Amino acid sequence: MLEKVVRWSRKKSPWILHLNSGACNACDIEVVAALTPRFDVERLGVLLKATPRHADVIISTGPVTRQIKDRIIRIYEQTPDPKFVIAVGACAMSGCVYRGAYNIMGGLDQVIPVNIYVPGCPARPDAILDGVVKLLGTL
Amino acid sequence: MNDTEIIEKAKALLGDAILEASNPALRRIFLTVDPKDLVRTVEVLKKELGFAYVATISGLDSGENFEIIYHFGKPSSQLNLRTRVPKSNPHIESICAVIPGAILYERELQDMFGLVVDLIPDSRRLVLPDDWPAGNYPLRKDWKYERPVEKIPGGKS
Repeated sequence: MLEKVVRWSRKKSPWILHLNSGACNACDIEVVAALTPRFDVERLGVLLKATPRHADVIISTGPVTRQIKDRIIRIYEQTPDPKFVIAVGACAMSGCVYRGAYNIMGGLDQVIPVNIYVPGCPARPDAILDGVVKLLGTL
Repeated sequence: MNDTEIIEKAKALLGDAILEASNPALRRIFLTVDPKDLVRTVEVLKKELGFAYVATISGLDSGENFEIIYHFGKPSSQLNLRTRVPKSNPHIESICAVIPGAILYERELQDMFGLVVDLIPDSRRLVLPDDWPAGNYPLRKDWKYERPVEKIPGGKS
């Protein structure tokens, strides 16, 4: 019974943290666009949070630079369990055009475990939303 | 003042310090100087010829030498001041005494090429990550980078 309630509450309010790990800002704009009333993510309970300590889902954009690698791991550890990671955009998936550069570690999955990949350069707000819904479907 | 007049005036003021001067296109001037005359030249360019704005400083690895190009600009013309330092002894004097804003470009030169900028007011690292191993300069031609082996979550299929 309690488990059921917990799962229900998790599904109904995925609070997100928007994390930029070195993106060119295109995906960030799309993430912000996905949070506007036009797409109305609050009907799914999605709320943007400013700190990882309040968040359930980390939405990360951009390739992982060498400088931010340790910080990302710290942010991931600060997020309370259960936590989920969505990699938004081609860069967060594989490094994209930045792959192989001397200061790039590659995609987000080289550093922290990733649950959902959202392709696109940049990913459309609909696609990001679809990614969040698919994540909720797995719970 | 047109391009030829600028070159004439620079030659008159600096004399032998200018090794080469050319005017490959309209409103574009190339000057080459020896590293030891650099600060004096920059001072003259700023005070006498009105080139007070350094757009950027670029570096070029040409095998045995580093070529350092100072891109000056003013509304009527662009001026590239070139200088060469040997790779075995890459020392150049800072122009921050004349143009304080050049410090960011000089720090970047130090990071990316391993040049030593003498008399720089602040020589901290600028663009490279904090955990970057010392002695690695990414923009040198002889620097090789081996990227870490990629993990594929779930394995290859």
